[in-house]
Parts: sequence; C-alpha cells; structure tokens
Amino acid sequence: MKFISIAIKDFKELIRDRRGWVMILVFPMFFMLVFGFAFGGMGQSNVPHDIAVINHDKGATLPLTNEKVNFGDNLTKILEDSKYENSETHIFNVTKTNESKADELLKQRQVDAALIIPENFSQAVVALIETTIQSQTGIGSGEVGTSQTPNITATLIIRGDTGYVGFGVSQGILVGILEQYQDKLISEVLKNVRGTNGTEQPKFIDSKVELIAGTETFTSFDFLAPGMMVFAILLLATTVAATLTREVETGTLARLKLSKMRSFDLLFGGLIPWSLVAAAQVLILFVVALLIGFHWQGGINSLILAIMVGILGGIASIALGMIIAAFAKSDRQAANLGTLITVPASFLTGAFFQLPQVVIGNFMGHPFQIYDFLPWTHALSALRATLTFGGGWDAISYQVGVESLLTIILFVIGVFLFSWTRLRPEK
Amino acid sequence: MNDYIIEARNLTKDFNGFQAVDGLSLKVKKGEVLGFLGPNGAGKTTSINMMVGLLRPTSGKVLIDGKEVQDVERGMIGVCPQELVLWDSLTCRESLKLMGDMYEVPKDILHSRVEQLLDDLFLTDKANTVVSKLSGGMKRRLNLALALVHEPEIVVLDEPSEGLDPQSRRVLWNYIRSLRNEQNKTVILTTHLMDEADRLSDRVAIIDHGKLLRLDTPENLKKEIGEGDVVEIQLSDPGKNKEVIKAMEELDQVLSVIELDKIINVRALDAVGKLPRIMGRVEKVGVRIADLSVRQNTLGDVFIELTGTRLRE
Repeated sequence: MKFISIAIKDFKELIRDRRGWVMILVFPMFFMLVFGFAFGGMGQSNVPHDIAVINHDKGATLPLTNEKVNFGDNLTKILEDSKYENSETHIFNVTKTNESKADELLKQRQVDAALIIPENFSQAVVALIETTIQSQTGIGSGEVGTSQTPNITATLIIRGDTGYVGFGVSQGILVGILEQYQDKLISEVLKNVRGTNGTEQPKFIDSKVELIAGTETFTSFDFLAPGMMVFAILLLATTVAATLTREVETGTLARLKLSKMRSFDLLFGGLIPWSLVAAAQVLILFVVALLIGFHWQGGINSLILAIMVGILGGIASIALGMIIAAFAKSDRQAANLGTLITVPASFLTGAFFQLPQVVIGNFMGHPFQIYDFLPWTHALSALRATLTFGGGWDAISYQVGVESLLTIILFVIGVFLFSWTRLRPEK
Repeated sequence: MNDYIIEARNLTKDFNGFQAVDGLSLKVKKGEVLGFLGPNGAGKTTSINMMVGLLRPTSGKVLIDGKEVQDVERGMIGVCPQELVLWDSLTCRESLKLMGDMYEVPKDILHSRVEQLLDDLFLTDKANTVVSKLSGGMKRRLNLALALVHEPEIVVLDEPSEGLDPQSRRVLWNYIRSLRNEQNKTVILTTHLMDEADRLSDRVAIIDHGKLLRLDTPENLKKEIGEGDVVEIQLSDPGKNKEVIKAMEELDQVLSVIELDKIINVRALDAVGKLPRIMGRVEKVGVRIADLSVRQNTLGDVFIELTGTRLRE
C-alpha cells in the first residue's frame, strides 16, 4: 500500500526536521509557559464572581417537625454568604432574577453563570433527608407504616457560555458548592439522628462553604491552556503547507506524479503522521500545562477525549495546509501565508482571550456564533469542557460533531484544491 | 513490429503567447540513445515534459509504443530531471525504496534492485547517509538511480552530468552506455556538452526556438554541416577579425568563416593544404597571427552553425 510508504516517508522527514519541531512544539510550549506564568494565578487575589439565581422552588414540609421550608432560598442565601477561605471577600455577587432576564444578563456578560433551581428542589432535599433518616433508624418520617419515601431528583441547571472563562470559573465553584451542600446536608441529618436529645432544632444546612479540591485555585490559565493546544494544532497548517509546497518546489512531487502514486496515497499518507503529531501536541502540551499549574478536572477518559479532539483539529489544520499549499509559490511563502492565517484564526477561536458574542443563528438547539464556522473553535470548547471542566463524552458530543462536520468540509476543499492545482499534469 | 518507441506528432506549447515548442515532430527508436541538443530556452525541457506526460501540449500528441502518453503505464518512463530532485531528509536507500514502492516493485525484487543500483552508481558506502550530507556528484548519481529503480523502458536524462567532475562524469557515461548496450533501454539525453552528446548518442536532435532543426547521427550531422577540417586563428589584434574574415571569404574552396570567442574558425576541405593561402590573406591585412591550430569538425561546430553564436538566456 503506497500510502503507508508515503506516511513512513513523511514521518521520517518530520522527525529529522528539527526546525519543524521548533515550529510544531517548542513555539507553542513557549507560549504555554508564558501564559502559565502570566495567568497561572500567581499573586492573583480572589474576586467575587457575578451569578444569577433563578429560584423556582415551591418549598416542602420538613419531616419530624412539619416545618415549611424552602431549600431554594436556603441555597441562594448560602451562595450570597459564601466567602473565600480566610478572607472577607464573597465568592459570588448574586442577582436573583427570572430566566429571561438571566439569559439577557448572560448574553451581555453581566453575569458569568446562571443557576436555575427547579420547582421540586425542596422536595428532593426532603426526600434525601427522609431516606437518610430511614436508613439510620428504620422508621419513616410520617405515620407508622408509611415508611416508603419517594425517590425525587432535582436537577439544578448551571447555564452559561461554555466558551467563556468567567463561566468556567463560576461553574467550577458552583459544582463544588452543590456537592458540598448535599454532603453537608446528609452529615447534619446523621449528626442529629444519632447524637441529639431532640431539644435542638436540626440544622440541615450550614452556610460555611469549603470548595472542592481544584476549584479554589481555578485560574485563567486553566482556561487558556486548551487554547495553547489549539494554537499549536493550528500552527500545524503552516508546517503542512510549507512541507507540501517544498515537495512542489523541489520537484519531488513531480517525481511522485510520474509514478503510480495516486492523490489518495499522497494525501492520506500525509494525514497519518500529521494526525499523530496533533495527538502528540495535545499530550505534550497537556503535560507541560500540568507541570506549570494547570488544574486538570477530568480523569484519563478526559485525556483520551482531548487527544481525539486534537486529532480532529489536526486534520482540519492539515486541510488548511493543503489549501495554502495549493496557492503558495515557495515554502517560505507558504510558511508566511500560513502564519498570516493561523495566528488570526487562533484569536478568532478564542485561544488567547475571550471574544465578544456574535450569535448569528441557532444550530441543533445551540447558539451559533460567527466564530463557530472554524472547526478549531469547537475543538477549543471541547478541550475546555473535557480537560478544564472534567466533562465526559456527553459534554463534548455537540462540539465534536460540529468539529467533525466542519473538518470534513474543509478537508474536501483542501483535497480538491491541492489535487486541482498540484496533482494534475501542468497546463 | 514498430521500431519507434516514442513518436511526437506536431507538438506545440504556448505559454501565454510565448511559443516554447512549435510543431515538433520526431520519432525515437527502441534501444537508442537520442541526444537532445539546443541552446538555453530552446524548448528542450518543455518538449521532454510533454513527451513523458508531465505537461499537456497545446496541440499535437505523443505516442509511446503506439499508445497516447496519458494512457501509458506509469512505470514505462523514468525521468532524471535537470535539477536535483531528492528528499533531503531521507537516506539513499530509503529514497530508492520509496520510489520502488511508488512504482509497485515487489519487495524482494526491489531489495536486490536497490542494492544493485547503489553498487552500480558507487553509492553503497553512502546507502544509509541522508541526502543532505551527500556530495554534489553523489546526489547526481542518486538522482539518476531514482529514475531507474523501476526499470523503465524509456529513460529521460535531462542534463545529467551538469556540475559533475570528470571522474563522476565517466561513471555516468559508462552507466548510460550499459543502459543501452546491456539493458536495451531507450535513452533520451539532453545536454549542453557536445562531447557528451557526440560520444553517447546514436542520433542527435537539435532544437531551437521550439523547432526541430536536425535529427541524424552525429557523423552525418558533422558531414552535412561542413565536411573537412577547421582552422582556428587567433590574431594578435582581435579588432582586425572582421577584416580578416572578409578576406577569407573571398578564398576559393573555403566552406565557411565565423568568429567564435574572438577566434576565427575557417572550415575548408583539405585545410592543411590550404594553410599557406590562408596565412597569406592574414598577412595582406597586416596583422600578426598569435595562435593557429587545425582540428576536425565537431558536433559543437554543427550546433553553432545551426543555432548561431548569439547569447541565449
């Protein structure tokens, strides 16, 4: 199979080209280090995060005391009162509002995230309390013989722009607080069931909050590190363009064209090593990021997903490289043109800083921004979702789907243009 | 049986109004070495690129063994381009194996063929050296080997000895002879070295301004352009060259008189016998002869006669 020989050839050329390595790895690693030091949180003071809370909770009756309570209000109060550890600074500035107003605030970036508390939140908390009591005492909270407690689940929604750093930080902290809330609730119930004499009113909720590991030191760098990976992947386009143009310029492509090699062999053969490079870029830059303080939220599964996303982004970059190589007259021109395209493209994906929201429509129930035409925008969102926020396949499936679709389109264009201009007999 | 393996029929190539090749028709015999000569920009490389299917002619067609060039099996032709077309980061052996794979040469055959080529072209010691570290001569030889790894029927060598030292050139010439004599390959050889074309070619095609001027054996071409010998006269005062040339042209039985690099070339039958009269004419002009020699007619003389002395870029 000739494409394997081409793949081996490209791979050997790649690993023997030290200057190419500088462009592919050292350059992005340098950026990673600079951004790590700049935004890694060194000397950074804690600041409150703006969030909106929409409380739909209709309340419930507490077991044992028959007291009417609204745990939605309770949770909102906790969010309002929570302070950073050993600090007088509040963690959140809470705006209590409704959903439409919250969406407006999110779009205007006046709040980083919106927490929607469902109608049955208090019922779910009560059910949790009853279940905890039953498991410890064997008795129901109501009358004797009616010990079966319904299993109620309340889903709290944290809404926001997943591509926005403010959302990333706020949602990370919110998730931590919600987990703490439930854990604290259970431990308080247990304490009261086992150790109180019944005179003290059970205190189910404590307003003291300790953040879960990781989020208390969540920094902008955690949001930027995946951006560096996307930047590196985008730079592949420059190297691919220069390599393909060099093949044209030195005449080796003409030599290959005279042989029995088909366009497929050349392009698919080239795809294999370059995709591996994209995977290596994600892995190496991930390790570098970890070494300089990246707070990895996911497990090994998130890393595998990130590599998959990286490979897809790499294929998109290879396609871009083909498009550039279809028109560049020399490898130097290809490199310059590549840089001219990939660096602004990195900015447009939001790799370095957040861009203003420019929603132009809706696609599969997701707002579609002008930057979303770039497959790397979705690669970046997916990398953040999985590496920074610890999301699994469900969290990135939409982004990966759109990234795949755009990559296929770009690849078809790249193959067509390169084959048309470079692989046909010259006119 | 068709004796001709390549037939170009009325080929033309127009580059935005510039006629690089103008109605070129020629036939190449199986198993011959055809020298393809022409000044810079005469249309040699363009013609060859059309003949091997790398360039589409504006009009006309090329038949390889009776089939149109675009329908011919890819492995039939091997091209050694004028420039060094090599992968700098691959070794000699890797480069040859790559091209063998591209031509679908079976692995076992490819292995022995690669080793044979490395040996024949004195590259065995450098088999595992990356191309960027080879000398110019080695790169030239590898450039040739890459055109031969699939054992093509037709080998096109575009100025293969450009920049080679005499030793490397000798190796190359011997190999080109072996291609014809031992392997019965058809070789098209473009060169600026008249000596090389004269020694290696069975026939020579001379092309200029995109047109075929002559196609014949070197011997016939030399006879056609000018039989006899050439007297080369260098005057002490080259400023008098034109005056002397005019005087020479008046002599009977002088076939032609031209100035080449400030040296007067007088072509005549029995030039030695005519020397006293030639020298007498020079004395009449009143100029001293700094140097004089008599030599046989060469292919270079034919080339200059046909294409002129004007500098081409």
